[in-house]
Amino acid sequence: MPAYARTATLAGLTSAVLAVLGGAQPYAHRPGGTAPGATGGPAPVAADGFRSVRTYPVVAPPVRLRIRALRVDSPLQRLGLRPDGTVEVPARPDVAGWYERGPRPGQPGPAVVLGHVDSRTGPGVFARLRTVRPGTLIGVDRADGSKVTFRVTRVAQTSKTAFPTDLVYAPTLDATLRLVTCGGSFDRDRGSYRDNVIVFADEA
Amino acid sequence: MRRMRARDVGSRRHLFLLLCAGMAVLLSAGPAISTTAAAGPAAHGTAAGPAAHRTAAAGSARASSADLAVRLQALLGRHSVLAADLMRSRIRGDDSFAQAANAALGGNTDAMTTLVGQLFGAATAEKFRPMWSEHIVALVAYAGAVADKDDGAKVHAREELVEYEEDLARFFAGASHGRLSPKAARAAVVMHVGHLTEQADAYAAGDYATADRLYREGYRHTYDLGLTLADALLPAADRATLRKPVWRLRSRLGEILAEHAVLLEDVNRAAVTNTADFDASADMINDNTRDLAAAVDTLFGAATARRFQSLWGSHVELLVAYAGATAAGKPDRRHETRAELGTFEKDMAAVLAPATGGRMSAADLSSALQDHDRMLLEHADAYAARDYRGAQDIAGRTYEHMFALARRLADGFGATVAARLPQGGAQTGYGGLAGVAGTR
Repeated sequence: MPAYARTATLAGLTSAVLAVLGGAQPYAHRPGGTAPGATGGPAPVAADGFRSVRTYPVVAPPVRLRIRALRVDSPLQRLGLRPDGTVEVPARPDVAGWYERGPRPGQPGPAVVLGHVDSRTGPGVFARLRTVRPGTLIGVDRADGSKVTFRVTRVAQTSKTAFPTDLVYAPTLDATLRLVTCGGSFDRDRGSYRDNVIVFADEA
Repeated sequence: MRRMRARDVGSRRHLFLLLCAGMAVLLSAGPAISTTAAAGPAAHGTAAGPAAHRTAAAGSARASSADLAVRLQALLGRHSVLAADLMRSRIRGDDSFAQAANAALGGNTDAMTTLVGQLFGAATAEKFRPMWSEHIVALVAYAGAVADKDDGAKVHAREELVEYEEDLARFFAGASHGRLSPKAARAAVVMHVGHLTEQADAYAAGDYATADRLYREGYRHTYDLGLTLADALLPAADRATLRKPVWRLRSRLGEILAEHAVLLEDVNRAAVTNTADFDASADMINDNTRDLAAAVDTLFGAATARRFQSLWGSHVELLVAYAGATAAGKPDRRHETRAELGTFEKDMAAVLAPATGGRMSAADLSSALQDHDRMLLEHADAYAARDYRGAQDIAGRTYEHMFALARRLADGFGATVAARLPQGGAQTGYGGLAGVAGTR
């Protein structure tokens, strides 16, 4: 029992005695009320024992992504920024990656996971991402064994030249998840797709 | 008919006193309340400190629909805490506090009605006011029945509340033109009423931990309900704006900071009166401090969050210590805490100013924190002097001040974080499915 709880309990008992002996004390008739001041010295003050917290729950980094509806079950590589300021992408087409300079999934903000739609020869981990429907559940396992689930709210396809950085990465304090892959037509000269497919999901 | 029945339930004397107090406030304040309501989120402003002037200036600018939506959230959140405070004071038999809370709740309803008119039209506002006011009367009747341990009156009050739940749900669903289903609207209103009635039950039973958990949940739920309503009732372009990150950050930071003010005032009330619900109140403000630190972590990382929480925790402790010293009659300790708060204000400003990328100077931030602390100290003083009306006025201004500060901080924080975000789209494909991947 914290110190302020003990003093409050003691103060409550003092109050009860005063209420019986002395009649109308200011707060004695209230639920759990106490009466300031008592014979033989000042009443203990509950606030004296108060200490503010100096810790907060830390959300562990994500280690695995699961989307049962798409048969996706992938470990998560950590991703940062390239020297040119663009986001790193997973080293392997069959493994998704979490952008580690943003929120961790379940933290108050948009966590971003990226995955390849394909390799040069076949499908990648997010090959079917564009087919996902609103309402689909997405699971994320975290390093400390905890899990968090998100529900898809919408799917968007947008040109890479007009990529909505704001809507995907900008801070909101809402615990959300964004999944990003490629889509649209393939530009063979540049060796890349022209669009990105973005899945928006809220914590379920 | 229902109003007739409402008058029959619970303690007629208390209800009569509350209604008289509410009427007196409306009649005496009249145009002043309307003016304030049009200018800012709260309708209780009286004293004109520097913070109040700044907020009024900000409010006088033309407000966008998104601005008004955040105001709706703020007013709904404050409705929840004021209604809970009023119900608790009714249970305690504390008529003076109840009258002050009722007056503040009346001002909140006025401001909300004005806002509903601005957002959704005068006809909608006209329908809104009586329904909203009557659900408050039914809530007070419920608290009266709980206080009087009158099970029959409690059942009756519940029946009244169920009817108002259905009326309000039909009203919101109808105004949304199908975007908010009657089922979803009813679920939202039922949850709101449930939070308030259940917290009253727990409070009366001395289960303060449960009462306070529901107090926080009720605040957050009604705050979010404001967004749900705005999202359902506003035109499509405005709805899209509400979802933009800058507005979400303003809204969420405002929610947490305003809750800090509400919960600090609650724990100071418990400290000043030295009541047995102090522990539960202390737990609530600590939970809010954790939420704030977690928000700083997600924006700026763990090291900044730890530094922030260390300073913020000292600030909370000093404010509670001031209230405790007031309760214990220790003027020296009161003076010391005031002086120590001055140090906090400078230190915290030095941490936050760089996080805004210089968009708020350390001097500006320190001044804003001074205003915040001054109002909270004044609130504790007013409460200790049993000037509950004055305490409610200060509480309303403190709440409003938090939203003004949250907006400036959110814009600064958002711009700082935006500067380091990835540029452009992601190169997440090599062409193996070309011709298949693009057929969306």
